[in-house]
Amino acid sequence: MKKLESNRLNMAVVMTAIAVAAAGLLGWVNSFTQEPIAQKSSQADFDAIRSVIIGDRDIEFTVAPAQERNGFVFHKVTGADGRTLGTAVKSTDPNGFGGDLTIMVGFDTEGEILGYKVLDHSETPGLGAQADEWFRQPEKTGSVSGSKLSELIFGAPSKAGSHNIIGMNPADDVMTVSSDGGQVDAITASTITSKAFLRAVNAAFKELFGYTAADAVSGASY
Amino acid sequence: MKYFKTITDGIFKGNPTFVLLLGMCPTLATTSSAMNGLGMGVATMFVLICSNAFISLLKNLIPDGVRIPCYIVVIASFVTILQMLIQAYLPELYRTLGIFIPLIVVNCIILGRAEAFAAKNNVLASLCDGLGTGLGFTLALTLLGMIREFFGKGTFFGTEILPSSCNMLLFVLAPGAFITLGLLIAVVNSIRKNQA
Repeated sequence: MKKLESNRLNMAVVMTAIAVAAAGLLGWVNSFTQEPIAQKSSQADFDAIRSVIIGDRDIEFTVAPAQERNGFVFHKVTGADGRTLGTAVKSTDPNGFGGDLTIMVGFDTEGEILGYKVLDHSETPGLGAQADEWFRQPEKTGSVSGSKLSELIFGAPSKAGSHNIIGMNPADDVMTVSSDGGQVDAITASTITSKAFLRAVNAAFKELFGYTAADAVSGASY
Repeated sequence: MKYFKTITDGIFKGNPTFVLLLGMCPTLATTSSAMNGLGMGVATMFVLICSNAFISLLKNLIPDGVRIPCYIVVIASFVTILQMLIQAYLPELYRTLGIFIPLIVVNCIILGRAEAFAAKNNVLASLCDGLGTGLGFTLALTLLGMIREFFGKGTFFGTEILPSSCNMLLFVLAPGAFITLGLLIAVVNSIRKNQA
């Protein structure tokens, strides 16, 4: 077959035909991938809610339909006996080191933090990306922090000396990095990520309960 | 025999990454681990094979005046299909490759092979060319990812080999990508020179 001539009619017809065929093909693929994609996404949400509220406990619970308010998404979790176990809040801080930092954080009815999970981030691998583990580790375990050299460079570890936020309550504890006068140790060499993470936690708490202890201390971290 | 040579040419003599230096953006950006490099390589290979075959099939139907937009529509369709499939069935891979999947559309290797090979050869040869070039790209990305992951995180496809105190974070970050790629190209060049 000879190649079609490049006249206006041929070009318009071929271009249109290819575009229509492509659209049809995409529609067909979309028709059977749409459901698994939606399923995976709601499954991921459910897993995150369970991990921040229930953790390893083996109890029955139900998750209320999501409520959205001012950009935060709330999921109330109720136990089998009908008591509220806590609320999982999805919160985003736009000023992480690499952009948006989205977390899910679980508070019990008193405001105590039950757990958290980093859902989406663009932080530096090996540094800021440690946020997913860092704020739940009881001890200093970073490879650099704790050595004599790091104390020389970054200063001695603060007295608070903990970066575990599980069990803290933003209503009583000043949840900012220690350099801002708070009680949480920042990730070594990732202060910007740490501040963004704590801002997201505090903002979620504030949206849920109305105030935080960090408000009173300084405006520096906000 | 001719077809076999088309495949091996794509892997060695015309390796898109080490010899032609095409598609540098995904090469540098997605190879922070061996698995990511492999995933990106296979994703690109899928699009390359499909688009090469289709463009070769349609080459006489497409008037020269609109060939580039037509090629791009074909390529973009396959990329979108791939994106939906990965999102639906391999959500973990989708999370790590993220925005780089839609960017396969503008990977110059794919348009380059469409224009330079598929538009002039029959379907079977174009399939082989897509397979060869895709394998070459996958090989290069996996190798780069393996080296960066080993020095940066001390792991091999996620299995820990070196303790974390030996990690050189630089290799996982952007400068490490440039350094590793440069050294690999130097090695490939010296091998090629010795052979010639």
